[in-house]
Amino acid sequence: MLAQVIAGGLSAGSIYALVALALVITYKTTEVPNFAQGEMAMVSAFVAYILMTDYQTGFFVAFSVALVFAFVLGIGFEAVILRRVRNPTHLSVLVVTLGFQLALFGLAGWKWGAEQRQFPFPVSANEVIRVGDVSVSTLGVATILISVVLMVGVFAFFRFTKLGVAMQATQQDSMAARINGVPTRRVVGLTFGISSVIGAVAALLMAPVITLDTTLMWDPLLKGFAAAVLGGLNTPVGAVLGGYLLGLVENLFGAYISVEFKSAVAFLMIILVLCFRPSGLFGRHRTRKV
Amino acid sequence: MRSTPDYYSDVQLFRGRRSWVKLAVLLAVLAILPLILPGYRIFTFNYMAIFVIVGLGMNILVGDTGQVSLGHAGFLAIGAFTTVLMMTEVGAPFLLALPVGGLVTALFGFLLGLPALRLQGPYLAIVTLGFGLAVTQIIGHWELFGGHMGLVVPTATLGPISLSGDVSKYYLIVGTALVLALCARNLSVTRVGRAFRAIRDSEIAAATMGVNVAYYKTLSFALSAAFTGTGGGLLAITTGFISPGDFHFLLSLMFLAMVVFGGLGSIPGAVLGSIAMGYLNLEMDAFEELPLLGPVLESFSDGFMSSAGLPNVGWVVTGLLIVLTILIEPKGLHGLWIRLGKIVGRGGMDTDAATGALAGAGASSSSPGSASAGPGGPPAGGN
Amino acid sequence: MAFFAVEGLTKRFGGLTALDDVSFEVERATIFSVIGPNGSGKSTAFNCISGIHRPTAGSVQFDGEQISGLGPHHIARRGIARTFQNIELFGNESTIDNLMLGRHQHMTTGVWRGLAMLNGRTHAARDECENRARVQHILELLDLDAVRERPVRELPYGTQKRVELARALAMEPKLLLVDEPTAGMNAHERTELGEQLGRLRADLDLTILLIEHHLQLAMGLADQVLVLNFGKPIAQGTPEEVRRHPDVIKAYLGDG
Repeated sequence: MLAQVIAGGLSAGSIYALVALALVITYKTTEVPNFAQGEMAMVSAFVAYILMTDYQTGFFVAFSVALVFAFVLGIGFEAVILRRVRNPTHLSVLVVTLGFQLALFGLAGWKWGAEQRQFPFPVSANEVIRVGDVSVSTLGVATILISVVLMVGVFAFFRFTKLGVAMQATQQDSMAARINGVPTRRVVGLTFGISSVIGAVAALLMAPVITLDTTLMWDPLLKGFAAAVLGGLNTPVGAVLGGYLLGLVENLFGAYISVEFKSAVAFLMIILVLCFRPSGLFGRHRTRKV
Repeated sequence: MRSTPDYYSDVQLFRGRRSWVKLAVLLAVLAILPLILPGYRIFTFNYMAIFVIVGLGMNILVGDTGQVSLGHAGFLAIGAFTTVLMMTEVGAPFLLALPVGGLVTALFGFLLGLPALRLQGPYLAIVTLGFGLAVTQIIGHWELFGGHMGLVVPTATLGPISLSGDVSKYYLIVGTALVLALCARNLSVTRVGRAFRAIRDSEIAAATMGVNVAYYKTLSFALSAAFTGTGGGLLAITTGFISPGDFHFLLSLMFLAMVVFGGLGSIPGAVLGSIAMGYLNLEMDAFEELPLLGPVLESFSDGFMSSAGLPNVGWVVTGLLIVLTILIEPKGLHGLWIRLGKIVGRGGMDTDAATGALAGAGASSSSPGSASAGPGGPPAGGN
Repeated sequence: MAFFAVEGLTKRFGGLTALDDVSFEVERATIFSVIGPNGSGKSTAFNCISGIHRPTAGSVQFDGEQISGLGPHHIARRGIARTFQNIELFGNESTIDNLMLGRHQHMTTGVWRGLAMLNGRTHAARDECENRARVQHILELLDLDAVRERPVRELPYGTQKRVELARALAMEPKLLLVDEPTAGMNAHERTELGEQLGRLRADLDLTILLIEHHLQLAMGLADQVLVLNFGKPIAQGTPEEVRRHPDVIKAYLGDG
């Protein structure tokens, strides 16, 4: 029983961790908490769906095009909207991402309605792999594996490639990075592109589990956000750990205490954690200098 | 140099005969409206007036104190359910149930304000968002609140008057909105409102002026919640039926949108923004019935989008309004009004002290001269 | 017992000791200057005194009471006002509203009375009028009446500095902490502000603690001077004594 619950928690946690990571890499670079992340990913998943059903393309083509679309959408959002916010404050950038989220949600709903669609996927959500007395769907296994590989890839990218290092430099001190010749504007744009792709992967993994509709990413986004806040919005590793932790706690709570309030427990948990550590479990607190 | 020691004019709302005349005209128009409007339109006005009350509350928290909230639909729900349960379970008259609803909501606002003492920006956003979701989830799972099915609201009475028709509700709701707008405006020009805005601009400086930051932040949450909860109680008697599904996350976003669009920190802005968003929210199910625009939207939907998804245009409009406001005029309608005043020039405008002061107030929403920040002012007079 | 006394004040940030065992006393109605190179801990000392930082060790006594460890608003209420090195005004508010915030602790209008300000005779209105009258006096004293209704964010730097000083004065403090009041001012403005500070001390019986980069001004106004370097006090005394102190000469010349 316990092992089963943990496996379920890891699979849900993988999605939360991906969304949290996507949020954190843009937050760290620009201090923008991107609430539009989820809807950007949802629209990308619809792109894949349309290609597969209306144009009968294969999985590989559909998913690749969806990820490229997500990349362009991320860069476009940064270049067309975020960069043009005048005298950005914490409040105004947060509000502008909420506005973009609403607009995307509305556009998607206008185009695709509220209908729930079966999302074709190479591995099934019903087929089960058994290890001892634990059974996990092949989709669950794929979700865990793909997210781990992607996250390792992202961390390797930041650590070992020239571009990744430039991005990290921009995250730590944008002014110093610019002085040292890093094209910070392009780097910020790319960060949004990459973040959007990570979010889209989460959406593509989520859609076959709960069918595709315009509210696909609501729950994952909120949980991913909660996870990022839990771990600390300025620590990518912390956010990923926060994602898995949240997935586990949620599933344990659902299994042993109450299924009904499973979602509420996530927020109870972050309120409790934030009361003691206002910048999350692994984040550092920044105080303003006067 | 001021020769007269009459500093009251700095904070006075109605100065000179003209502003009194304007107030009288506004009140007269509002009083006559339900007599000449078609029946279903009165409901629209009631709904918009409730949004105005919520907008005034949002403005205290977001506009003045600079704290973000993505959970005000939760406060609306608490106010609505408390008011109804006071009537059905306790048997209290509506006149008692409504303020109790507001007070209970204020208590929840105070509680939500406690974590806000240590949290900023996105951290606070996510906590308030979680609060809003948790409220509807808990209400939905509790038999007392009617579960997911919701509650039927009994007919409210005010002494001998039964509030069964939309017209009698209209006078109650619009009257409440006017009184609360006056209260909000008074608060904003006196000591407490100033302390709120001081916290927004610099918490550290506010504290070194002797402002108890913790007290005023939680107070701001409580007050904002009280306004919203009162709106919730009025919403309950307006719609006649409440269920947790009515108080969804997108409604919280819409509440945020109304103060952003109206202009953060401006009371006339909040009033106008709320009226606009209230109207939009109500018309969402019937865009195709709009004059002129309706058929265009419908044929466009059939051609390129989907006609079933037409109500979603409301979210597109709300979202775009938010984005465009932040990109083009971060001070919203209030900022546009000031710009307009600058273009037209002070000479071309009303020479009335109130209007002149608003035009001269520049970007400051808080100038003691913004006397039009009440129901009698020119921007609010447009409705 | 001195009017204001700091004893063994120490502040560490992680491994960095910003303020190391600083002690001094200030007599009533005198001007006490704190000087020292950049990063010598002057502003940290002010932040500890006004309660923005909690000191790691040491005590602050004011008017016969121990105030170290209290929150900033409690300290403000005991009669200590301050200005900031990098201006901390309420940028969107008008000059008069900034000054009215200085009156916050002297005013009594709360939520209920504020909501119910119906006419000029209500408590809230009278509270406003009385305090506006007092603030008006300070506006005129510091020559700010012309920008009374302007949002302070739009004002020139030097004017903002004066608004900050005026706001601190509006608190009617017993002790005023002034952090680099003349930064960014030209020679004329500086002299004028110096004279104003001197007059304030005399007229209002005010005790002033002054951080000032311009040595001539700091020395000229002060009754007593404290020199800090790397968080440590290296000299203290009358301006004459300090000027001749070998460590001070070294710190300033060594610094270039």
